[in-house]
Amino acid sequence: MKLIYEKSVKGRVGYSIKKDEFDGAVEDLIPEYALSKAKKELPEVSEVDVVRHFTKLSKLNYGVDDGFYPLGSCTMKYNPKVNEYLASLDNFTQAHPFSPLEFVQGNLRLMYELEEALKEITGMDRFTLMPSAGAHGELVGVLIMRKYFEDQGKSRSKMLVPDSAHGTNPASSAMAGFKVVEVKSNEVGNIDLDDLKAKMDEDTAGLMLTNPNTVGLFERQIQEIAEVVHSQGGLLYYDGANLNALLGIVRPGDAGFDIVHLNLHKTFSTPHGSGGPGSGAVGVKKNLAEFLPSPLVCNCGKYFGLEEPRKSIGRVKAFFGNFTVLVKAYAWILSMGNDGLKMVSETSVINANYVLAKLKKYYRPAYDRFCMHECVLTGRDYKEYGVKTLDIAKRLIDYGFHPPTIYFPHFEPYAQETIMVEPTESEGKETIDEFIDAMIKISNEAKTNPELLKEAPHITYVSRPDEVKANREPILVYKEK
Amino acid sequence: MRYIPNTKEQLEEMLKEIGVSSFEELISDIPKDLRFKGDLKIKGPLSEDELIAYIRGIERENVDFASLKPLVGAGSYKHFVPSVIKTILAREEFYTAYTPYQPELAQGTLQTMFEVQTHLSRLTGFDAVVPSIYDGASATAEAVLMAMRLTGKNRIVVSKLLHPQYMETIKTYVAPHKTEIVEIPYKDNLTDVNVVKDLLNKETAVIVVQNPNFFGGIEDVEAFSKLAHEFGALSLQVVVESLSLALLKSPKDLGVDIVSGEAQSFGIDLNFGGPYNGYLATKMDFIRQLPGRIAGETVDRNGKRAFVMTLRSREQDIKREKATSNLCTSHNLNLYAIDAYLSLFGKEGLYNLATYNIKASHYLRSRLLQTGHFKGIDYPFFNEFVVETDLEELEIKERLKKISVIPPLKLSIFFTGLVNSYLFAVTEIFSKDDLDRIVETLGR
Repeated sequence: MKLIYEKSVKGRVGYSIKKDEFDGAVEDLIPEYALSKAKKELPEVSEVDVVRHFTKLSKLNYGVDDGFYPLGSCTMKYNPKVNEYLASLDNFTQAHPFSPLEFVQGNLRLMYELEEALKEITGMDRFTLMPSAGAHGELVGVLIMRKYFEDQGKSRSKMLVPDSAHGTNPASSAMAGFKVVEVKSNEVGNIDLDDLKAKMDEDTAGLMLTNPNTVGLFERQIQEIAEVVHSQGGLLYYDGANLNALLGIVRPGDAGFDIVHLNLHKTFSTPHGSGGPGSGAVGVKKNLAEFLPSPLVCNCGKYFGLEEPRKSIGRVKAFFGNFTVLVKAYAWILSMGNDGLKMVSETSVINANYVLAKLKKYYRPAYDRFCMHECVLTGRDYKEYGVKTLDIAKRLIDYGFHPPTIYFPHFEPYAQETIMVEPTESEGKETIDEFIDAMIKISNEAKTNPELLKEAPHITYVSRPDEVKANREPILVYKEK
Repeated sequence: MRYIPNTKEQLEEMLKEIGVSSFEELISDIPKDLRFKGDLKIKGPLSEDELIAYIRGIERENVDFASLKPLVGAGSYKHFVPSVIKTILAREEFYTAYTPYQPELAQGTLQTMFEVQTHLSRLTGFDAVVPSIYDGASATAEAVLMAMRLTGKNRIVVSKLLHPQYMETIKTYVAPHKTEIVEIPYKDNLTDVNVVKDLLNKETAVIVVQNPNFFGGIEDVEAFSKLAHEFGALSLQVVVESLSLALLKSPKDLGVDIVSGEAQSFGIDLNFGGPYNGYLATKMDFIRQLPGRIAGETVDRNGKRAFVMTLRSREQDIKREKATSNLCTSHNLNLYAIDAYLSLFGKEGLYNLATYNIKASHYLRSRLLQTGHFKGIDYPFFNEFVVETDLEELEIKERLKKISVIPPLKLSIFFTGLVNSYLFAVTEIFSKDDLDRIVETLGR
């Protein structure tokens, strides 16, 4: 479809500004060294042009409200409408971050109460709500680790990351100046404890661990893992990407974790927004609270205020957190309560195991054991028909589903051609059954009519865009011919 | 529970199909002594009407912001947001979608990214744009890291008139990388270009100048770029009030190498400071060192124009610890707002809007100076300015409260030497009458 620039007509307007009653001219107010000689070449379109443009664009997208979106590791659950409404309340959206604190007592109370709830849910002692995303939270977490060791006068140079970890874990560690050391997974899909023991030493800051891990399995030996890390003075970091499996079942703070980050846009139902904004709240144990980013919200008796932790790692963005995201997360927690949260994890685990049970004979799983909130299948048995996992995923689109996560996790020798399905608690049995049926049909098509898969999807506006070409001849902006 | 469709009976049926007798059997991997016993002590479950009442109760503990106009900006600008934008942002196809990993189901997102890249390119002059990073501060920190990678040097020279919270963010990001940070002092509300030469050396990676600066001042950016290049350093321009780009020369024409900016002014609410939208723009030569998500144009299987995420080999999910950044989730939803805003205002509208801003702010300043309660030096500025006053802070707050105005920023919270100085921001939300009322109120 056309770009907004291709709809531009000279002289067309889509804006209104109140009457300019001021004297003077721009040329008198801006020095010659700075004044642009020409107006910037933005499009000229009317309001109705813009509305139709975006309505059309929206129809080229697929969201959770359109249907099943089983992206493993992404927790694409339903985003309640009331939460959108609450986050859009004027006194939230129109609050200036440099308002006097007595103007924003409601905002500070909301942040304070959300922190209290997150502490209870995770078993941690203090939270920052400042990070904008999971990876932002990871950066905060590893910077806290760095500062903690520096503060003890003995910096550590290495960080352990499992081979199954999200790419953000090693990338965040590198940003915090750590040398990344990979820990292997074993034949049952857990961390290889011997490999961990061999690699954990007094120059290693700790281990970043996702639990359940990215193959959807609980790290059975978590207590031993914590013991190995702590015995060398290290810290255990909890990547909360998969907390959806554990609400009210296990609290990371009770399982030996020293730092956790939560993705409020996963577990806590705030929408993903086509790729953000999210929120990557970070919780720590008491001994690490003084390193949290500044500022923190405090309950100073009569009023809510702000405080700066004594040995803070500093700021990681301007102002506070992604406030409107926090409103949605808190509203969700209040809607669920204790019983609801437990039901979330129970349902998401049953849903995932149901998919696994029904599909494992068609798509050999990476590991054959019960999973937690997501299951990792593979498309490796269809290679002999010339069909790649990508083709299976693309064919699912024709059946009306968003494909699962594919090719992640990826590590030798267990996880290849992976198809990671995370149904979440938001899906009813009928939807999951329809998905299972489609997957089974596709497995037959792969054998009988592989071309159908290789050319899929057949029903979308575009099909199989050439990514190699985009990369080799980068066109990143529109230019008039 | 209204958000969880499966009934108890259905769950039991599913357990049977799985081949277990209970949920407990499914999670037998979890050691017994790790299991959380008892109930989480949290409020709820609340019914929807109870929830609305509860959260609205919290909201009402704020002042009635809807009826207040802020005279404070400092990185967060209240511009009028057209109704169209709220309508667009409410489309579920946008707000409930994920990062566009499957281009066939995300052309709406990808084309929007591409259009915003184009808008920002028209405003900055650069052809390589990362449209969405968390905010201007984190985008600036990423830009500094990028400059350090490009030059292989780790000494940075930063204007004292960079937004103080941006400076703090840079400090956090570079802390692990043994970085020497040198501050350029200011003079007459502009970064002092005369001392820069003495602060630069061959070890310098980048010089960082905000324009308009934290005091609203319009810098001679080209002079800083020239000096940077003399020493083999890069020139980084930070744009916190991006509306200024409608009137000011494109950074590319000022010898700048990298731009980091905040696009909150383009259709994004104040939101108590977030979510906002940071961005980067630079030359095509530097694309392999850019952090974050970028959309690119290509063709599909049938030769039709299509958009994809591109230059992916820089990213964390592929390169892991060798990635240019750990950026994954960004703030893409705001791109629909920015795209719609810049399309609605367009070439003439954005120019006219920026013109209104600069004229209104100059009007207020000159009227305040006439009252005798305010004084300040003359310097070129956009829509924010610094003045000194003999009025007490509390007095300013109380007086402005009566006319529903949020007070300007007291600068001493960041600049200890500036005891009685305030940073005023004036946007199109103020009519001439509004400004006259402010002058009357403060000028008494």
